[in-house]
Amino acid sequence: MSSWKEKPFRFTLIFGLVILGLVILPFFTELYYQTFLTELFVWILFAISFDLIFGYTGLLSFGQALFFGIGGYTVTILTRKYGLGTEPGLLLCILIPMLFAWFVGYFSVKLTGIHFVIITIIFAIIANIIGDTWTSLTGGKDGLTFSPRPFRLGFFQVNLMDIKGNYYFVLAVVAVCYLILRRIVQSPLGKIFISIRENEERARLIGYNVQRYKLIAFIIAGGLSGLAGGLYSITLKYVGAGYLHWSVSGHAVVYTIVGGMGTLIGPVVGTGIILSLEHYLVNFLQATDLVVGIVLVVMVLLAPKGIVGLIQSRWKKGKSSA
Amino acid sequence: MPETDGVILEIKKVNKSFGGLLAVNHVNLSVKKGELRALIGPNGAGKTTLLNLINGILQVSGGNILFNGQEITNLSPHRISHIGIARTLQITSLFPGLTVHENIWTAVQSRKKFFNPFLPAKRWRDVQEKTEAMLELTGLKEKASLICSELSYGDQRILEMGIALSTEPKLLLLDEPTAGLNSQESMALVKKMRTMLSGQTIILVEHDMGVVMKLADTISVLHYGSIIAEGPPAKIKENEEVKKVYLGTEDA
Repeated sequence: MSSWKEKPFRFTLIFGLVILGLVILPFFTELYYQTFLTELFVWILFAISFDLIFGYTGLLSFGQALFFGIGGYTVTILTRKYGLGTEPGLLLCILIPMLFAWFVGYFSVKLTGIHFVIITIIFAIIANIIGDTWTSLTGGKDGLTFSPRPFRLGFFQVNLMDIKGNYYFVLAVVAVCYLILRRIVQSPLGKIFISIRENEERARLIGYNVQRYKLIAFIIAGGLSGLAGGLYSITLKYVGAGYLHWSVSGHAVVYTIVGGMGTLIGPVVGTGIILSLEHYLVNFLQATDLVVGIVLVVMVLLAPKGIVGLIQSRWKKGKSSA
Repeated sequence: MPETDGVILEIKKVNKSFGGLLAVNHVNLSVKKGELRALIGPNGAGKTTLLNLINGILQVSGGNILFNGQEITNLSPHRISHIGIARTLQITSLFPGLTVHENIWTAVQSRKKFFNPFLPAKRWRDVQEKTEAMLELTGLKEKASLICSELSYGDQRILEMGIALSTEPKLLLLDEPTAGLNSQESMALVKKMRTMLSGQTIILVEHDMGVVMKLADTISVLHYGSIIAEGPPAKIKENEEVKKVYLGTEDA
């Protein structure tokens, strides 16, 4: 008996069906929806990477935009200036944000609570200002456009200038990242992250070097946030200082809280719901943020564990009363 | 190894001051292997502070702490844990959102050297087995899948000891395990402790004199940060100075 709540069979089944559905979807929908879904996948990756440090390790980082933006700039600049292919470009938009996460994390994880939140925001704001003003590197306010090279892996090749190709590519990368993150949170390392979230002092008293593990979580999350940024700029063929804006970090916070933090499926559901909501509302309402804000307030008040938490507790109740 | 007479913990002239207040004042204390040492004294005598100094939650202002002859003064708590000293806190400290099983598991796996991020945790058979054994020992097996904040307060105290024991300590620091329990519950806990903790070397901080007299091999009495008496329970009971500062204050 193991009480870590993991249902491998059910997971494989549902995950497989969802991916299958998403693979055949482009044959029945317009390009317009494929673009929307591709962006959705990117935000999902950003939200789940954020949830690793927020929902699992208990650190509210408002600085994930920093890594998202650096990822975006990395692949864009390398392709534009140095003609680098997409494969090393994407690898570097994991590794370079990881280095930055190491640096930022080194100073941040020593702080707790609100101090941690503030220092992560400050780092992101500094990066945002640099992105805005270092015009020769970043294109300043206009940003940079580029044409991503085809992605090659052996005989396999994807044209990223093609909307459908881009869709499948992003879907595949995000799906793999989801599986990797799932592995990590179910691993012994993941259990340490969870213990830090639950009670930092107790984790330290049973021998975990809490600061070290916080830093590890921060670096992993930073790398995956960077990858999300890289995929985003590949999808839009553009990067700008807006990627580094702190409100980008805010997206991940909102998606994760609405969907349910501390689960991986939560941020996926939250991202899907909020983005779809915005997507439809924008047709007849300008103030979509207002609606999102209201949704967030209602969720925090009525279902602090998010939609997934709400469903889980209903499910549990139904089971025990049956 | 300069280990003498089976002494496991040696505290030499340890001081701790908070601003101008000397909370621990030149304390010398040595604890033998297998001994249950009780640390008693009125509120504010420095008992918890002394435990905090031993396991690194606080830094000493002066003096040395040796464990098995090895200098451990001012090491951080996670290092101290790996050297072999476990700790329970006065205010129950668990992983509140996790199940009883997960709480113990997390403590058991802390003895591992490498935490593979790509290995499913449940594949660690030895951790699994040790977790089961600890659930058995603590008597919490039936409640293993409960979220630990759903446990009764007494069970939470036992769980915290289970967590501490799961780190396979050579010395266990217990800070008022019966705090907040009524006398019936606290007798039940003492009974449980006897079976759970047999053979362990323990420093026990405790207010309940009944518990202390039942469990302790030796008692050290702290008063204003200094040790004023030390000896077996029967002797301490008769000690005039102790009566005055400690038992006396309770009557008043």
